[in-house]
Amino acid sequence: MASVSTNAIIEQLNQARNLAFSSKEAFPQVLRQVFQFVNNPDQKIQEWCAVFLRESFMTDESKISSSDKVDLAIDALDGLIVLANIEDTHILKNCIDTALVVFKLVFRYVAENDGCTQVWLKLNELKNSLTSKFQSTFPLPPSDTDEHDQFRNLDIKIELIKFIVLVIDYQSRTPNSSSFSLSHVNSNHSLIKQSIEAEAFGLLDVLLKVLTSDVMVTPLVTALLNHLSVIAKRKPQFITKIVAVVEQYSTETKLQSNYETVEQYKMSKKYVDRCLKVLINFMLKNQLVPSNYTNALNKKINLLVSRGEDIRKKNVLASSPEDSNIRKRKFEGFVNSSKKIKTNDYKSLYCLTEPDNELNNFDLSTLPQNILVSMTLSALNKASNNKLNKALDIIRDRCKYTLENFTPADTRVKKENDGADDEDDDDYYDYRTETEFTLPPPTELSFQEKKNHINVIIKNFFRLAEKDVSSYDEKQDLNGASSVSKELTKIAIKSWKNSSWFVILTRLASRGMRQIDTSKPLLKDDDTAESKDVVENEGISNLIRQAIFDYFLDDVHARVDFIIEWLNEEWYSEKVFNEDRIYEELKEKYLEEYEKKPLSTENIESKVQEELETHDIPTPIYNMWTGKVLDAIIPFLEPGDRKIFIRLLSDLPYLNKDLVSRIKSLLYDPGRSKIGFLSLQFLIMYRPPVKGACLEILGELSQSDQEDLKDEAIKLLKKYE
Amino acid sequence: MEDGNLKICTVCASNNNRSMESHKQLRDAGYDVKSFGTGSAVRLPGPSIDKPNVYEFGTPYENIYQDLMSQECRKMYESNGLIHMIDRNRHIKRAPEKWHSNSYAGKFDLVITCEERCFDSVLEDLMTRLCIKTKDNEVKQIVHIINVDIKDDNENAVIGGKGILKLVNMIHEFHNKSKNDRINKSYEDESSIILEDQMIRILAEWQKEHTHLPTLYSVAYY
Repeated sequence: MASVSTNAIIEQLNQARNLAFSSKEAFPQVLRQVFQFVNNPDQKIQEWCAVFLRESFMTDESKISSSDKVDLAIDALDGLIVLANIEDTHILKNCIDTALVVFKLVFRYVAENDGCTQVWLKLNELKNSLTSKFQSTFPLPPSDTDEHDQFRNLDIKIELIKFIVLVIDYQSRTPNSSSFSLSHVNSNHSLIKQSIEAEAFGLLDVLLKVLTSDVMVTPLVTALLNHLSVIAKRKPQFITKIVAVVEQYSTETKLQSNYETVEQYKMSKKYVDRCLKVLINFMLKNQLVPSNYTNALNKKINLLVSRGEDIRKKNVLASSPEDSNIRKRKFEGFVNSSKKIKTNDYKSLYCLTEPDNELNNFDLSTLPQNILVSMTLSALNKASNNKLNKALDIIRDRCKYTLENFTPADTRVKKENDGADDEDDDDYYDYRTETEFTLPPPTELSFQEKKNHINVIIKNFFRLAEKDVSSYDEKQDLNGASSVSKELTKIAIKSWKNSSWFVILTRLASRGMRQIDTSKPLLKDDDTAESKDVVENEGISNLIRQAIFDYFLDDVHARVDFIIEWLNEEWYSEKVFNEDRIYEELKEKYLEEYEKKPLSTENIESKVQEELETHDIPTPIYNMWTGKVLDAIIPFLEPGDRKIFIRLLSDLPYLNKDLVSRIKSLLYDPGRSKIGFLSLQFLIMYRPPVKGACLEILGELSQSDQEDLKDEAIKLLKKYE
Repeated sequence: MEDGNLKICTVCASNNNRSMESHKQLRDAGYDVKSFGTGSAVRLPGPSIDKPNVYEFGTPYENIYQDLMSQECRKMYESNGLIHMIDRNRHIKRAPEKWHSNSYAGKFDLVITCEERCFDSVLEDLMTRLCIKTKDNEVKQIVHIINVDIKDDNENAVIGGKGILKLVNMIHEFHNKSKNDRINKSYEDESSIILEDQMIRILAEWQKEHTHLPTLYSVAYY
């Protein structure tokens, strides 16, 4: 819609127009004022100017005097040059008509006023701007093929024929004629040289290309044939060229275009034949044809007449045996070259073939990748650069069209609805390569939050303990082989068993939370506090350990296996972990030494290994929890629990003096001392590392004031010492 | 044609039968129409084939009517429809007009001839006009010349007139639709709303329905 200001300006312009047409004196002044509006960015105003210019220059002496008109024509050149390049059919048409008048006036002015170089240059600029458009589709954008473009924008091309014929007429000599031509220009003119006729000859060639094309663009061909009569009549120097082309012209040799039906082609043939006949007739009648061509053209006329008579008696559209002679031009375009897409999907974005073609439904992604790659490569190799570019142009235009036809507001609404179905579409409309999407960083959990979460996790684990999952086993065994990759079977849990939860939970406590505390080396006595992270993680681990411990306490007898498994895990992971830390610390130590004295130190690796063997690997966490377990179980042991307790002691991975000493309380209990002595005996026999510690306890008991204990201890001491 | 309605003229040899029948049909349909003849004179059937009634172009239909009515073969003219035809014509316009001297009538967008001879004649005349030295302010305009071949008798003139009306309607509709499409920019390729680009398609479409009315076509300048 035109803005208020546009309408206001046009209203003013209309008033000016009325003034101009009512006053011969005011007209030149009004027209000069209007020239300034040609540069207005509003196309509606430019269009108004184009129409008014045409109207003004087509008036006769009663509105503008001849001398004023020549001056105005010179002043109009700048405006016309601007209008000639505006992409609008209506403006261009008016501009061409105005140029037809202006060109005549200004050319003659220059011819009479040698030396006005600026005017001459501008006139040439306007001329070149217009004549060059004949072989383009301006103001329409070009289509995907030159062939199609030959059939497009014919109204402007037909208008331009008028202008080009005028230029040819003015820029070449016309012998024995009163109408203006190059013959009327002083042969010594400094700007309009006689050689300018070559340009006219060149323009005639451009026009005749319409006839030498391999297809018939009937409206253009017939228009040209009609207008050629002027050149034929006035320019004997060009007649041979025209007659030669006309004589050669045969609709029989023209191909059916891909942009016309057989019916259209057959009708076109008939139409063009007839117009050709009329032109030849005109030339012969007016005795324009050189004598050496007369016979040939007479023959041609006879041929055209008989062919015309023939076809007139028949239905031109009815199929005839001669139809088989019709050859179609090779198709160079795309069946579906539409620059707008009907459905918003990738298929219609890229589809250049007939949309209904069954082939479009073939899913290429079902082909193996190597075949796809070789297909794509050979297709790209086969496609000409030009065709590939045209195809990409079409797809680019479709993208542009889609983007332009979806307002940002629409897209936003879609995003908010963000259904799974819309996802692809959203990507499609919103996609900008320059946009990077990043997720916001997760907010850090506080220690309390972590604790809360780990408590939930622990609860879930124990809930799993209550579930009977044996039924799942079978299923997983059946499907396992195929659905689980081999990599997964290498881990501890191949399939979920009733006890699987415990493996995961213990490992979470032992390995999952462990963190190297770099600030506190194991090898040095250092009182510095552990780092906050380490303390916090250990705190979380201890939450899990406490939970396992409590679980054990709920049913000590039944759950001793769990405890053994857990404590083994604790010891193993802690030992490996700390061994690794000591190894790293030792390595660092020896490397430092090596740096100081490179020659004295030999094989660092073996030295590190050597020293590592001399170190005891501390397992403080294991020790603490094993102590807690022993302290917890011992008070509840009953005389019949001998087997369980010995089993526990035998299966614990590591014992030391401190841990062994916890058995003492058993020994002092008369009812259960038997279990205590059996345990010591067992340890002395089967756990040599703690044999010393056990013997120490026996020694202590042998000094005891309890007689029965004393006796038993002495007896055992004698036996094992 | 850019801004206004189609300016049409129909052309036959004598501007009496075929061009006048279609002139009437087009006028009744509301079109801006004129009609002409390309013959050297107005020739109407006479008492025998070798004795036609010949009048100068410009002779009022009224005069022709009176002349025929005063002749001995009046009955024959009545029975072969000649009287009826001239009677119709005198109610449409004053007199038969000659194509070659019609510059007073203004310019047309569409010239429909009813015989191939007339088509040739119009084209040749327009070529001659192109070659005449013109005034500086004169600008030629595009004209579509279409020949619809009609046999020169009463019945065929009516049938032909209907065909011509249909064709003009199609061009008129295209013209109106294009005007709207241009305003609304509701076209994919502007070429689809350009009459010159689509003319052959329109003619072919029409021809399929009117195979008994052979056509010719040319774009000319005028």
